[in-house]
Amino acid sequence: MEPVEVKVSDLNVWIGGSHILKDVSMKAPPGAVTAVMGPSGSGKSTLIRVINRLIDLIPGARVEGKVLLGSLDALRADPYEVRRRTGMVFQEPNPFPHMTIYDNVAIGPRIHGLARGEELDRLVEWALKMAHLWDEVKDRLRDYPHQLSGGQKQRLSLARALALKPRVLLLDEPTANIDPVSTVKIERSIMEYAKTTMATVIIVTHTPQQAARISDHILFIYQGRVVEYGPTREVVLHPRHELTRKFLGGEV
Amino acid sequence: MSEARFKLLVAPPAIVSSAILVLLFIVLLYYSLPAIREYGLGLLASPTWKPVEGAPGEYGLLIPLAGTLVSAVIAVLLAMPLALASVVFTEEILPRGLYRWREAFVSMIDVMTGLPTIVYGLWGAAVLAPLLGDTLYKWLHRSLSFIPLFSCQPTTGNTILTAGVLLAIMITPFIYAVVRESYRQIPRTYREAALSLGTTRYEYVRIMMGMAKPAILAGALIGFGRAAGETVAVALVVGNTFNMPSCLLAPSYTVSSLIANQFANAQLYPLMLNVLVSGGLILLLIGIASNILGIMYLRRVRYVA
Ligand SMILES: Nc1ncnc2c1ncn2[C@@H]1O[C@H](COP(=O)(O)OP(=O)(O)O)[C@@H](O)[C@H]1O
Ligand SMILES: [Mg+2]
Repeated sequence: MEPVEVKVSDLNVWIGGSHILKDVSMKAPPGAVTAVMGPSGSGKSTLIRVINRLIDLIPGARVEGKVLLGSLDALRADPYEVRRRTGMVFQEPNPFPHMTIYDNVAIGPRIHGLARGEELDRLVEWALKMAHLWDEVKDRLRDYPHQLSGGQKQRLSLARALALKPRVLLLDEPTANIDPVSTVKIERSIMEYAKTTMATVIIVTHTPQQAARISDHILFIYQGRVVEYGPTREVVLHPRHELTRKFLGGEV
Repeated sequence: MSEARFKLLVAPPAIVSSAILVLLFIVLLYYSLPAIREYGLGLLASPTWKPVEGAPGEYGLLIPLAGTLVSAVIAVLLAMPLALASVVFTEEILPRGLYRWREAFVSMIDVMTGLPTIVYGLWGAAVLAPLLGDTLYKWLHRSLSFIPLFSCQPTTGNTILTAGVLLAIMITPFIYAVVRESYRQIPRTYREAALSLGTTRYEYVRIMMGMAKPAILAGALIGFGRAAGETVAVALVVGNTFNMPSCLLAPSYTVSSLIANQFANAQLYPLMLNVLVSGGLILLLIGIASNILGIMYLRRVRYVA
């Protein structure tokens, strides 16, 4: 599968009357994790919802600029096609409550006719292993997710996204409400997925520590504008901008 | 008003309203007892209805009971797709920008739940029954008469099928309201999760409907309860004839239309009133059972994984 670079140029987003994202340009390379940081309300979630066109669901949202997923013009393309190529994990663990653990992972491949029978079994196993959940659920794939812990549910949500082997994986503060053990597992999955499949991973994170642990690049947004973008080491050790320094120090 | 006084003011009406159901049951049971004693199981199992003046006749409720069940089942089967399609239409298809249109459409369906049922009955008798009788039923009989359900020669539009169709129209708004309320409560995060998999709108709706399945079952049950109990509209179109509803194109009876039709005569015939009341008791039980089950399913609607 082709590596896909995500390239955002001159992106502006308005919701209702307010200007949410202002002239945002950024790149996220394949095979790497790009962390998006910034205070609450600065537009991080909006940015990744533009990339997979979930922004279409928000009434009154207006988007200008360009978003490329490889050669696919994401703002012009069929939104189903865009979402088919991008996976997403949300802040709240959200496996479908009416589907078994197995079916939650199998739903994507089934809908897109990717695999059946034993092949599907293997794909589900692969995704659950990738999400570091397999050992905990392999004996109860037919159970419903309500018995799982919050962290396990979040890994199940991750496995559901991974089962489609998306070239671009988007995560919106996936560990904000998750126990530390699951957080570590999710962080490992994300890094492994990026490295082993050359996928492009963009993760919104609420903590600079997490960004430092797992990302290769950091994008720092403040009030809808890109303040700083660079390799993680540089941004963390030598932030160029005063705001970044303050954010890393926990002051904004 | 003091706390104690306020409590005193609202407690009795609350107790009275819940006591009414129990009283209703007791009274119906009391008046049914003579019939139950006389006819036993035959009351449910016998298809005979032979009133005799001045002496206990032969009364079995099998035909109207079957009519009630058949018409209510037809109604639910026809109403479910209508109601679900309307939910999908108002919640997913009508563009969000057309907010007013959506609300207008929703209000229209809601108004339909509150209309006097006689209005449906009149429309059913004057328009629907003749229309179906002249067109659909002739066609059904001509093309599908090898199916026993359509084997009888249609002679009138007043049939058990017309009752079912009319009931379907009447209960669709109820089922719609039950399903819509639950459908709207599906948290946004599941909607986003489904869409983020690249689902088409159809696949997305299927996932959402799967999530709302308990509400759909609840809607079907509550709709069934209403259909089984509906009286006046059915009485105007069902044909009111003691005919086993094994063929849908013939007139038949339902328990409620039987009660409505025969109640005035019942004074003349010993025990007939008691038989009718026991029919009412059965309707009460069907209503209670379908509503309790429906409410139980609604309670199971919890969108948490
Ligand atoms: N659906 C929406 N309707 C109206 N305003 C929204 C909506 N989603 C986000 N916003 C606004 O956009 C801004 C950025 O939000 P968001 O992207 O969620 O920020 P972050 O994820 O960085 O906390 C906020 O001011 C928020 O109020
Ligand atoms: Mg956010």
